[in-house]
Amino acid sequence: MEGLGLLYSGFVNSFTVVNLFACFIGALIGTIVGVLPGLGPTATMALMLPFTLKFGVTTGLIMMTGVWYGAMYGGSTTSILINIPGEAASVVTCLDGYQMCKKGRAGAALALVAIGSFVAGTIGILGLQFFAPVLGNAALSFGPPEFLCFMIFAFVLLSNLSAEAPLKGALMIVFGLFLSTIGINPMDSYPRFTLGSETLMQGIDFLPIAMGLFGISEILSIALEKYVKPQVNKIRLRELYPSREEVRRSVFPMLRGSILGFFVGLLPGPCTVISTFVSYALEKRISKTPEEFGQGAVEGVVGPESANNSAVMGSMVPLLTLGIPFAAPSAIMLAGLRMHNVEPGPMLFTTHPDVFWTFIAAMYLGNFMLLILNLPLVGAFAKIAVIRPQILMPIISLICLVGVYSVRNSLFDVWMMIIAGVIGLFLRKWKFPIAPFIIGVVLGPTTENSLRQTLMMFKGDMSLVSDRPISITLLALATAFLAFKFTAPFFGKKFPLKIEEDDAL
Amino acid sequence: MGKAARFRLATCFDFLMLVLGIVIAVTSLGYGFGSFGRPGSGLYPFFIGVAIAVFAFFILISELRSDTPKPVLDREGAITLILMTATFCLWIVAMPLLGYVVVTLLAAYAFCKIMKLEGWWKPLAVSGGTALFIYLLFDYWMYIDLPRGILE
Repeated sequence: MEGLGLLYSGFVNSFTVVNLFACFIGALIGTIVGVLPGLGPTATMALMLPFTLKFGVTTGLIMMTGVWYGAMYGGSTTSILINIPGEAASVVTCLDGYQMCKKGRAGAALALVAIGSFVAGTIGILGLQFFAPVLGNAALSFGPPEFLCFMIFAFVLLSNLSAEAPLKGALMIVFGLFLSTIGINPMDSYPRFTLGSETLMQGIDFLPIAMGLFGISEILSIALEKYVKPQVNKIRLRELYPSREEVRRSVFPMLRGSILGFFVGLLPGPCTVISTFVSYALEKRISKTPEEFGQGAVEGVVGPESANNSAVMGSMVPLLTLGIPFAAPSAIMLAGLRMHNVEPGPMLFTTHPDVFWTFIAAMYLGNFMLLILNLPLVGAFAKIAVIRPQILMPIISLICLVGVYSVRNSLFDVWMMIIAGVIGLFLRKWKFPIAPFIIGVVLGPTTENSLRQTLMMFKGDMSLVSDRPISITLLALATAFLAFKFTAPFFGKKFPLKIEEDDAL
Repeated sequence: MGKAARFRLATCFDFLMLVLGIVIAVTSLGYGFGSFGRPGSGLYPFFIGVAIAVFAFFILISELRSDTPKPVLDREGAITLILMTATFCLWIVAMPLLGYVVVTLLAAYAFCKIMKLEGWWKPLAVSGGTALFIYLLFDYWMYIDLPRGILE
């Protein structure tokens, strides 16, 4: 009952003009970003960080989640209409979505995806609403060894699931951890790796690095590509009605995708992308007509699209309850929360319960807004896909430049962003995943604190970790994962999850 | 393994990371390693440095063993990248002098032309629209005090 009371007050708080506007803007921008091939939700969230500083923490959080969430809705539009995924989590949708389009069922596919995303979003929010406070309470008993082992577990999975070559993922994580050590060590006020520079004493600011690696490198990458104008199939409102058979076939994939997506979202890595692959494989395996998959099976469209929406909500659980982001967009969110001096984690529910419950309430509203936005306006959003990057990218580039400068009126930050952008472009080309790097930067201070506190607690004897059941379980899981990963090829099995480097962003 | 494979940019990056890892590990020892029971400032970065060096070493080895891939940038791509980066840099240098509106207008036009937007009126419309939008967003709506340069 207390939860319902808090949710009610969350709704009261979220019904402000500013919060509703932020929710709408986030959802709208997210949908547009989802529709546009190239610019992903992570890049957009990084670019929006400076703007969120103008608002309160809750408003900023609502806006950024709206972007992430909206991108999941919008990503399917171009997958279905032009066979080009708007973002990585919609790659699977191309398989059957475009086939449905070729059969003249694009409208029905889009409508079912929008409804599926709405259902999945609602289930995801319900999951977050019930799981997060429970896990948050459980996490109160976590000590430094548990946090350290959780971090190790997350890093092992991240490096393996985010890149084709796990070593490249691992290198990116440790390089991110290194970057976070630059500046004055808060534990003993000792300056490290500052090269005598006063600017570096304050440490490397996260915002220019994130905007450079995700935003500028994306812009440069698009600038280097040759533009081919896509052909968009027109959609009329009356074509959005799915047949009774299509609705019947969509109900269970929608529910299965929603539940599966939420649990995949709890794992480290590019959860939205992984959830779509897992959901597609599951639907195909249990289907009575698996031969229809790839030929326009509605289950292959609705299941994955529902899964990626609830995965967004699932990935909010470790972020809000433990303060550990498992995916690049949640790392950006963590940075955003820290910029507002809010540290997510077990204490969030006692120190800032208003933030959590207003966020939950706003997500219900945002989900509803997205459904309204996406159903009648699907034709209009599809037209956005044909806007030429030569027009969009200059605008976005300059918003990045002015945006990053405006935060601290610092040209040094702008230089950092450009350098990070150019490095990021080459890292993409050389198949180094960027997401583990940014998560390493964000989690660096927590990792160091946990390690030092654990060492001091155990007086240097790390074997005492075995006395902590949660810690040893997490280490055992990480070891089992690595053992499975490295031994699978010897038994003639292929590791089931292989994410392309672009997807992992 | 061809000679080209040995000297490609990606290999240089891996080598640089290997050296960086060693430098980090050595430098951190100067910050005080302490002991495992009483860790000093340098203990954590020391292990980070070692990890960077080890991972970079194995990536470097696999890179050297792999076939030479296509270059990541062709000549045209390299020119576009240099021009885009130069425009970014010029924006940073000129912004405090000319003001953000004028520099944004010029940079947006340059970006349009670098990205091969045909004609002159479309780039002009995009750059004018961008400068106006940025003025409205940052100055008028968000009240952020940005350098106005010659428009002061």
